Amino acid sequence: MKQPPQLSQAQARMAHGALTRDGFLGTDSRNLVEILQDDDGRVRRLGLGHADLAAALQRLTDAALAHLGAPVVIDDRFEVRSVEAMGRMPCPFGHPGLFVKAEVHGRRLDTGETLVWTPLSVHLIGAHGFYQGRGSPYRLEPERLAGFLGMEGKGPEDVT
Amino acid sequence: MADVLTAVGVLVGLGAFLALILVVAERRLVHSGPVRLTINDADPVEVPGGEPLLSVLRERKIFVPSACGGRGSCGLCKVRVLEGGGSVLPTETPHLLPDEIEGRVRLACQVKVRDDTAIEIPAHLMEVEEYEVRVEAIEELTYDIRRVRLAFGPGVEFRFRAGQYVQIETPIYDGLGEPVYRAYSISSPPQDTGAVELIIRKVPRGICTTFVHELLLVGDRLRINGPYGDFYLRETPAEAVFIAGGSGLAPFESILADMAARGVRKKVTLFFGAVSRRDLYDLERLHAYGERLPGFSFVPALSHPDPGDDWQGETGLITDVVARHHGAMEGMEAYLCGSPGMIDACVRVLTDKGVAEDRIFYDKFA
Amino acid sequence: MTSQGAFTIFIAAIFINNILLSNFLGMCPFIAVSREVRTAAGLGAAVAFVMTLTSGLNYLVYAYLLEPLGLEYLRYIAFIVVIAATVQLVEMVIERTSPVLYYALGIFLPLITVNCAILGVSLFMVIRQYSFVQSLAYGAGSGVGWALAILAMAGLRRKMKRSRVPAALEGPGITVILAGIMALAFIGFSGMVPM
Repeated sequence: MKQPPQLSQAQARMAHGALTRDGFLGTDSRNLVEILQDDDGRVRRLGLGHADLAAALQRLTDAALAHLGAPVVIDDRFEVRSVEAMGRMPCPFGHPGLFVKAEVHGRRLDTGETLVWTPLSVHLIGAHGFYQGRGSPYRLEPERLAGFLGMEGKGPEDVT
Repeated sequence: MADVLTAVGVLVGLGAFLALILVVAERRLVHSGPVRLTINDADPVEVPGGEPLLSVLRERKIFVPSACGGRGSCGLCKVRVLEGGGSVLPTETPHLLPDEIEGRVRLACQVKVRDDTAIEIPAHLMEVEEYEVRVEAIEELTYDIRRVRLAFGPGVEFRFRAGQYVQIETPIYDGLGEPVYRAYSISSPPQDTGAVELIIRKVPRGICTTFVHELLLVGDRLRINGPYGDFYLRETPAEAVFIAGGSGLAPFESILADMAARGVRKKVTLFFGAVSRRDLYDLERLHAYGERLPGFSFVPALSHPDPGDDWQGETGLITDVVARHHGAMEGMEAYLCGSPGMIDACVRVLTDKGVAEDRIFYDKFA
Repeated sequence: MTSQGAFTIFIAAIFINNILLSNFLGMCPFIAVSREVRTAAGLGAAVAFVMTLTSGLNYLVYAYLLEPLGLEYLRYIAFIVVIAATVQLVEMVIERTSPVLYYALGIFLPLITVNCAILGVSLFMVIRQYSFVQSLAYGAGSGVGWALAILAMAGLRRKMKRSRVPAALEGPGITVILAGIMALAFIGFSGMVPM
C-alpha cells in the first residue's frame, strides 16, 4: 500500500537495528500505514481513543519513573516499577523531542496480570496511534492494554 | 487484429521510452557523486556524497563524540557548518540553542554532505584517536552490571582526565546494519596506564550492552575512541557531593582513585543510590576511601530493600537521602551520574537547597 | 483549428476559463494543500510546470504517434502514462533540490499524477484542436491559473485564522464555500473572450 514519504522514513527508522536493537516492527511484514489503520480500527471497536489509553498509561509511567526504580502502588490497583537506563532516544517518526530509555513493569494487584512498556511506547500510542508491529517486544495489543488498564469504552463506535 | 497489435505496440513503446528517461534521470539526480569537504581551513578533500557528516568524518579518522551512534538522540556531535549542509532539520532543533543555530552549529549525524561543504571543528577533537584494545578481564559486579578491563597495545599511551568517557564500537552482530558506537565513562584512574576499565549495565534490549553481556569474551578485540567529555573534578576548596545511580558510579571511581593518588584534599560525600542490595557493588573499595582520603564519606542508600537484604544503611529515594544529609547547600558543588530521571530529580532537590546551577555537573549523554 | 493567438489563450486560461474556478477540476489538492502559503506556492509551481510540460508532450504524442496510426482512442491511456512519467521526474528533481519542500508536500506530490486538471488540459486541447504553440500556451495558462487559485486560497485561509468559523465547517467545509465564492467572482470575467 502506498504511503506518504514521512511514513516510509519512519518505517525505515523502525527497522531492526536502526534506532534500537529489535526495532518497532517485529516480524510484521505489513506496511506502517496498514498497521496503523488496523490498530486504529481495533481501538475504535473497543469504543476507546488512543489519547485515553495513552493518558492512563502515562499516569502509571510518571509514577514509576518518579520512584527511580522502587516499586509503587497506584489507585490500590496497580504496582509499577521502572528500570531506567542512561540516555534518551528520539521518536522514530522523526519529530523533535527525546524520550527516557526505560522499561516500566506493571502488575494488577487484583488479577495479577502483568504488562511491560516504555515511555516511548506511550508517546507512540498517544501521538501516533502506533502500537508497534506484531512480534515487536513492546507491542501492546489494544484489547490487552485496555483490559490491563481496566478501561471500557462506550461501546463500538460507528466504524464507517 | 493488426489494429490491436499496433495499439498495444504503441502503448508499450511509449511506456518503455518514458521508463528509460526516468532511469537515466534517477542516475543523474538521486545518486550524488563525490563532493569537496573543507575542515578548519585546511585544503578541501574529496568525500563521497550523500552520507551523514558524522560518518564522513569518522572515515577520515576524525572522531566527533556521539553517545547514540548517530541516531540524533544525544546531541553531542555539534560542529559548525560554514558552507553547505542544507537547512536545519527538525531532528536537530531540540538540541540546539537559538544562538547556536545562528552561529551555524549543526548536528553532524543529521547533516548530509550533498554539495561542497565547509566545517569548523574544535581543535581538541582533532586529537581524539581510535585505539584497538583487547579484553583483558570481565568481572560480574551484579546480576546486570559488568566491569570490563580493556588493554591497549604495547607502547600505547592513553591519556585522559578522571571523569572522561570513551566510545566503544559495537561490531555488527545479529543483523545489525552497521557498527554502533556507545559512550561509557572510564572507571579506572589515569594513573593506570595501559588499560581502561568500564562499568557497563545491561539495558533491556540495548544494542551495545547486549553485545557486552552476551557475546564479549576475554581475549576479544574491540575498537574504542576517545577521550571525550567535560565531566571532571573542579579542584576548588568548595565541598562537593557525588551522586551516582547504577552504573553511574564509574566516573567517580576514576576521580576518587585519582584524588588518592595525587593527594587532592577536598570534602566529598559520595551518595550511591540503588533499589535493593543486589544492585550494589564495590562497597568495600568505596568504604576504604574513607581511610585514604581525608574529608571523604560514603553513603550507600537503597530505595526498596528486600526483606532478606538485612540492610542497616540509609533507605529511601536518593534525592531524599541527600536532602536529609545536608541543610542549606549554598557554595557546594554537585557531580551527578545516572539515569535522566535520577539527574532531573537531583537537580531539582539541589537547586532547592541553594546549589548554583553552574556548580552542578553531569554527563551530558544522560 | 482556432485562430486565437497563443498569448490570448494564455491569458484567457488564467482568468476566463480558470481550470479550477470555472471548470472545477483539480479540487482535491486544492482543498488539502491550501493551508500554508509556502507549501501552496510550491505545489502550485509544481502543478504549473507539469501542466505546461505535459500539454506540450501530449500534443506531440497525439499529433505524431496516435493520429497518424489512427489510434486517437488511446489518448486517455497515453496521456496518463506521459503525465505519470513527468510527475516522477518532477518528484526526483524536488527531492534533490529542496528536501524540505519534498517533505512538506508529502503524498501530494505523487498525487499530481491523478489531478484531473492535468488530464483535463490535455483532453481539452485535443477537443479544441489547438496547435503545438497554442497547446503550450493553454497548458501554461491553466497551470498559472491553478497556481494562482491555490495561492489565493492559502492567503485567504491564513487571514481566516482569526475569523470565527462554525466548528462543523472548519477545514474542508469553509474552504469549499470559499472556493464557490471565488468562482462566483471569476464568473465576472466570463464571455470576455470566446474560447
